[in-house]
Amino acid sequence: MSTTADPITTQDFKVADLGLAEFGRNEIRLAEHEMPGLMKTRDEFAASQPLKGARIMGSLHMTIQTAVLIETLTALGAEVRWVSCNIFSTQDHAAAAVAVGPDGTPENPQGIPVFAWKGETLEEYWWCTEQALRGFAGDPDLGPNMILDDGGDATMLVHKGTEYEAAGAVPDPAQAESEEFQVFLTLLQRTLTEDPQRWTKIGQEIKGVTEETTTGVHRLYELAQRDELLFPAINVNDSVTKSKFDNLYGCRHSLVDGIFRATDVMLAGKTAVVCGFGDVGKGSAESLRAQGARVIVTEIDPICALQASMQGYQVARLEDVIETADVFITTTGNKDIIMADDMAKMKHQAIVGNIGHFDNEIDVAGLTKVADRNTIKPQVDEWRFPDGHTIILLSEGRLLNLGNATGHPSFVMSNSFTNQTIAQIELWTKNDEYDKQVYVLPKHLDEKVARLHLEALNIQLTELRPDQAAYIGVPVEGPYKPDHYRY
Amino acid sequence: MPVLRSIRERFSGEQPLAGLKVGACLHVTAETANLARTLAAGGAEVAVCAANPLSTQDDVAGVLGGDMLVRAAHGTDPAPGQAEIAAWGPTVTLDDGADLLALLHETGSVPDGFLGATEETTTGLVRARGLGLKVPVLALNDARTERVFNDHYGTGQSTLDGILRATNILLAGRTVVVLGYGTTGHGIAARARGAGAQVIVCEVDPLRALEARMEGFGVMPAVEAAAVGDVFITVTGVPQALGAEHFARMKDGATLANAGHFDVEIDLPALDAAASERREVLPLVEQFVVGDRKLNLLAQGRVVNLAAGQGHPAEIMDISFALHALAVEWLAREGGSLTPGVHQVPADLDREVARLKLASLGVGIDTLTDQQTSYRNSWS
Repeated sequence: MSTTADPITTQDFKVADLGLAEFGRNEIRLAEHEMPGLMKTRDEFAASQPLKGARIMGSLHMTIQTAVLIETLTALGAEVRWVSCNIFSTQDHAAAAVAVGPDGTPENPQGIPVFAWKGETLEEYWWCTEQALRGFAGDPDLGPNMILDDGGDATMLVHKGTEYEAAGAVPDPAQAESEEFQVFLTLLQRTLTEDPQRWTKIGQEIKGVTEETTTGVHRLYELAQRDELLFPAINVNDSVTKSKFDNLYGCRHSLVDGIFRATDVMLAGKTAVVCGFGDVGKGSAESLRAQGARVIVTEIDPICALQASMQGYQVARLEDVIETADVFITTTGNKDIIMADDMAKMKHQAIVGNIGHFDNEIDVAGLTKVADRNTIKPQVDEWRFPDGHTIILLSEGRLLNLGNATGHPSFVMSNSFTNQTIAQIELWTKNDEYDKQVYVLPKHLDEKVARLHLEALNIQLTELRPDQAAYIGVPVEGPYKPDHYRY
Repeated sequence: MPVLRSIRERFSGEQPLAGLKVGACLHVTAETANLARTLAAGGAEVAVCAANPLSTQDDVAGVLGGDMLVRAAHGTDPAPGQAEIAAWGPTVTLDDGADLLALLHETGSVPDGFLGATEETTTGLVRARGLGLKVPVLALNDARTERVFNDHYGTGQSTLDGILRATNILLAGRTVVVLGYGTTGHGIAARARGAGAQVIVCEVDPLRALEARMEGFGVMPAVEAAAVGDVFITVTGVPQALGAEHFARMKDGATLANAGHFDVEIDLPALDAAASERREVLPLVEQFVVGDRKLNLLAQGRVVNLAAGQGHPAEIMDISFALHALAVEWLAREGGSLTPGVHQVPADLDREVARLKLASLGVGIDTLTDQQTSYRNSWS
């Protein structure tokens, strides 16, 4: 596996091992069957090629499911370059298969340029992101005209780059608030000397971004509120068939999968604390309870706290349960949820993990100052405190469902990624209908995504009679709910 | 009650109970009436009295009284009726709490030709064993069908039903403390969780306690649970599961209910002694003012599922009373050859009840092939 950041490689991709391509292709083939939304979308648009001319830069966990998304986008006519949006989330066989492509071989790769491997350093991560944002059509200076983002890192690079180029200077990396932002600023310092207008030019070419997750959407709304958004954005996260499926059912599946693969601990009889009771927290709590764990929820929002209570979970403050619980999972989307001081008070071998998007929910930096690390296996570290007790930290505080397991299952991701594909088509083909604001997909498209998945599960939908439709004031073919309906 | 009905149809033709005198001391409900009529259809002479002063449905007792000897009325002391039925000279008794059995032993009047007794509850079996039994007793409560359906599903559902009818409280968001994690406790805890309550289990048996913990329930000593619970349900089979030390710690508005057989699980004298004032705030809800807090006792601490609810759903009683009917038939046939003491229900009676129930549901199951049977047997 490559571990250092090369300059631009002779081949226009960088993955861990092309020899994994066949394994990856086999798994992609199996996943295609489990992703009916994407495959039906390929069928529907095969002839019309709606993404012809689109140059899509994708920053989204490079997994098997993402490979099916990538190949859907190319099947619809797009040119695609890709990176993972997390240093641990790449499945190396998926990346290899995407680089080799369905028609290539490891000796003669024919796939798309992908820059991703499991276990990137922060420097490598941002280098990869930079590579995917340039080099379209073989031209090092040609950037994307569409971004497909997860967490908003690619969007942030373009926006911050543009901002600093306008200012003519990049802030001093030594003053950065985190190690990652330091790396980020160092990269922008370099690009400013290479080409003082690179990000400005790239940004001007971009017609829109479709954003996958809560955290990235939050960034986009902030940019839009300050009138700093450079291009229109579609918030895919808040499609019902995304957040109410991926975040909830996906995490319900992959959280315990990650914990089991990492530790093989028996959850029945244990006490688990779930920090945050949003969609991700709800799915997490349910899966832990289903394993027989006693689940305690922490919340700041009275509505979510009351929801947790009404579902029979104890709601408490972290400090009141820190010494007694066995498993701690952060799902908040906020920072500084579990600090080093907290971990110092935990039981011996308490398990600590995060399933929120970023790695700032657990104070790993603080942990390095007060405890010693002993790596049990990749993405599983035992940290020993001076008093001798240890905690087990999963995936260094990054998304443990992707770091320790394989993320969400294909079927759930088919819902999310069909939304992504439809959003890309929408922004690309109807670009003049969108301002530099954040939009959600209209309800009828959300319903369409769900419809595409019914047949695979043999779901028999009941149809409204015209008089019934008139009675509740909706068209027979939908949409069936007002936009504010919460499901 | 399709299972009991199918047995009644067979009994009508075969008359397997001809000549029997069956004394039944049970909760006098519509389902019990069905059992009594099934036994009568099989040829037995049947007499019925109440096992509990609050569980009799008077309309049922009235109608049934047209066909047979019935001594039961809601809200009256059941003892005189029980004594009358014991003196009537039954040759088979059906008990729910061992009242008739105790009378027969204590008065030394076990009738000639007495074939045997059945006992419905765990508590009754404990009492029966203490009597120095002179007759065979079939432990119906230990039968698999009884345990699984009656205790887990029946009492599990009807206990919460009784509490909800009496109080109309929302369980979601509340902390429900289940004292005792036997079969009934399992059923109650699972349903309370399903209704959105946080469930805490209190146990004395480490195995049961661990089981509760592995199901993800909170487990702690009752004295700790006392301080955090909103609803307390006793299903322990022992007295004073909740007593003065618990009442002293409970929150204002805590609700106390018992689903165990006798009204001893909540220490009522201690509760009365701790209270400065008591008054009925709703039918079957009595409020005890303890210090600056009010504690709500349901149904005077008697089986809340029968006293405040409608007892088990008919489907559960169908299974339970089908087993009773088959047990009486079996006692009629085999009772004379049994030694005094507690006997387990033969497994084929259990299987027959389950088979009839499945048939009524239209559920088909598989049968072992000869090859599979010999494979299984080859290990023994």
